[in-house]
Amino acid sequence: MEEVRPEKASIGKSSNGKASIGSSPIEKLIDELKKKVLDILNIQDVSLSDIDSNAPMVGNELGIDSIDILELVTVIEQDYGVRIDNKELGRKVFASFTSLAQYIADHRTS
Amino acid sequence: MSSEGIFITGLGIISPLGRGLPSTIHALKNPVSGIHSADLFNVAVDQIMPVADVTVPFPTEPGVPRTHALALVAARDAMEGRKAPPDAIVIGVTTGGMPKSEQLLGSKIVSPQEYVYHGAGTVATYLAEHVSCTGPAFTLSTACSSGTAAIKIALEMLRRGKAKSVLVGGADALCRFTYFGFFSLQLIDPKGARPLDRDRAGISLGEGAAMLLLESAPTPPQGSIAQILGGGISCDAYHPTAPHPKGEGALKAMQDAIADAGIRAVDIGYINLHGTATLDNDASEATALRTLYLDRIPSVSSTKGMTGHSLGAAGAVECAISALSVSEELIPANTGCVNPDASLGLPVVLKPESRPVKIALSNSFGFGGNNAAVVIGSVDLPVPVRQRTCPMSLQVTGLACLTGSGGTDDSFQKFSQGVHVTGVLSDEEVSKDLPQRQVRRLKRTSRMALALATAARKDAGGSDCPSSVFFGTGWGPLTETYDFLTKLFGSDMKFSSPTDFINSVHNAPAGQVAMELKAHGANITATGGDYSFEQALFIASLLTSEKDNLLLLGADEMHPELSLLFDPSSAGDTTPSDGGGAIMAVATDSPEGPAITPVAYRMAPGNTGSAPMIDPGIIKDIDRRYGALFVGIPLAYEVAARAQVKSFLTYSKFSGPVVDYRKYTGQYATSAAVATVLAVKAIKRGSLPAILTGKQEVSLSGKGILVMGFGPYCTAIDVRNHNRGVHAP
Repeated sequence: MEEVRPEKASIGKSSNGKASIGSSPIEKLIDELKKKVLDILNIQDVSLSDIDSNAPMVGNELGIDSIDILELVTVIEQDYGVRIDNKELGRKVFASFTSLAQYIADHRTS
Repeated sequence: MSSEGIFITGLGIISPLGRGLPSTIHALKNPVSGIHSADLFNVAVDQIMPVADVTVPFPTEPGVPRTHALALVAARDAMEGRKAPPDAIVIGVTTGGMPKSEQLLGSKIVSPQEYVYHGAGTVATYLAEHVSCTGPAFTLSTACSSGTAAIKIALEMLRRGKAKSVLVGGADALCRFTYFGFFSLQLIDPKGARPLDRDRAGISLGEGAAMLLLESAPTPPQGSIAQILGGGISCDAYHPTAPHPKGEGALKAMQDAIADAGIRAVDIGYINLHGTATLDNDASEATALRTLYLDRIPSVSSTKGMTGHSLGAAGAVECAISALSVSEELIPANTGCVNPDASLGLPVVLKPESRPVKIALSNSFGFGGNNAAVVIGSVDLPVPVRQRTCPMSLQVTGLACLTGSGGTDDSFQKFSQGVHVTGVLSDEEVSKDLPQRQVRRLKRTSRMALALATAARKDAGGSDCPSSVFFGTGWGPLTETYDFLTKLFGSDMKFSSPTDFINSVHNAPAGQVAMELKAHGANITATGGDYSFEQALFIASLLTSEKDNLLLLGADEMHPELSLLFDPSSAGDTTPSDGGGAIMAVATDSPEGPAITPVAYRMAPGNTGSAPMIDPGIIKDIDRRYGALFVGIPLAYEVAARAQVKSFLTYSKFSGPVVDYRKYTGQYATSAAVATVLAVKAIKRGSLPAILTGKQEVSLSGKGILVMGFGPYCTAIDVRNHNRGVHAP
């Protein structure tokens, strides 16, 4: 099983962990993922700047649960060619937007 | 008091274990898993998952979906040697004609006549036609608990004197829809289902059908196999798919079934588990059993390691296996489990055992938190003596409807002015009073159901939550169904949406309502085309007891593509329309104030709608009893239905006004729900305006409205204001 390497994602992270319009590829990917998640999951009452890139994706104010994660699994495979096909790996990858972006960056084919 | 037993006098089963009782018994005694690797749907190599398909040959008719064919095999086998048809049919089905419809949709075939078997409810009517049953043919669609819930409903139909014999069971065939749906949920074990194993990793989908002929009798009729002692139905009201972690709903269903059977938990000798082999299900079910029994749990096994999980059929197949356990003195093995998960603390039976089992329990749990359990006893047990029960009336405490004109007040006002309430509200308008967070991943039918439930509860004063929810829908959540298949076919079978899958099941809206209203009692979704709301009402009258709080709902959405293919009445309508109705009520056999009572549901006799369709006692005094008839004439059967109405009026000599309600509501399956709500509003107002009667205003003082449905089935709902001392029908 592939290990998630969240340490890479700390490059360019803002000091409070919140999203900044970053210029590094990983920051761009994080912002892209946040937009995608809000759009796909139809979360209308949270703005991009409110999302902490390092906070847990599940069980916080975003209201994301296990069903949403499975929906994101499909979308991520479709859009980036990255497959997250078991729950154990899913838990690591979806730990935060940072870990998700890093996993995608390391494995993407599209 | 009543001392009639409910006996299984016929049993038909077709499953991956074979067809018929000898094959099934042989397979249970010499267990071999029916799960194997098969590329049924021509999928990518990494998507090939083991399944348990029916490999024994069976008769099929051209153009008839596999589900219907499997169901008919089991029904014919259960009815073998019988001349008299059953009084009623009750079956559990989840996907109905989907095995055929998905292929047609994938091939972009848009001829509605190709989709006549799409509806889940068409399986029951197909059986009714083939076994000449002219009574009710009800279809439960409560996901994986459907087959077991059907048995509890059949049991109550017999106990409450609505039938002497019922053909009951479940059927589902493998299809892409469920295969890719469960795949997207990561719930399929690539190695095949290993129930209760420490390394279990999910289900294997299966298929099949089982039908039981149940008869009520004071002593066991000849050839009786076993008896149904009791049943329980509950809802987790916790999560759309995941079971309650402590198995609270499962525990309640088992406790209710045991109490209903009049036995003690320790009297049970064998438990056929739901045992799907997902981590969560098996853990939750085990927790419920440990709570129920502490450390004295009887022998348990899941037979899904042999049969796979056949969804709507599973409960019926497993009740059949439990009946065979009792009649053959056989405890089936938990095939597929190599290393039992010690943390579950279950006395799992790994090899079949030969020993007497007097009483068995069969569990089934499903999406929407829907749980059901049935207790089966040997024929030689004494027939339980029970308090006599009867079907309930629903004393109305709150109302709501949604139409093209908006909510209850807007709709009733327009209707009272003789103005149509046709049309389609936007999704945003439908859910305008619901928090966005709550509906963010819900599409149209679930939004309608939640909006209706919330409004009806508010109308009832907002205090009491219903314990049970009864939902009728002709077609289920069509948007999710369409979106799921569109994504699947659009990606060459690579991608599908798990959210759309779980919300596409017919019972998803009722599951959402239960979560919102914390309704932990029975949660029933019934489906049968234009008579779905009536089915839900009839089932509510059978499953509730005096003083139970309940919510009755009916809703159908207009989908711009699927409604035109599936619902010929909707397709022919000049103004596309949808909507629904909801009624908060207290169940009672002696209502006070406005109440609704189901009084007729049967196949139209020769499509003439004459003599025997409704209780002669009601027809006899029809002018004195009713101020008006609201009649539902589905456009697709207009000619026959109008002839039925004419015939009924001639026969009954009813002289009051007849309101053709679909003219006002539009043509959709559950327009009867709206008509019933409008009828209650009219009763409460005490009169029907001249614009609706075509003559003068009609007083409803002391009189009711009979809401009738015509077409292939004839139905009638009595709506009236009950006054103390006035005898109810």
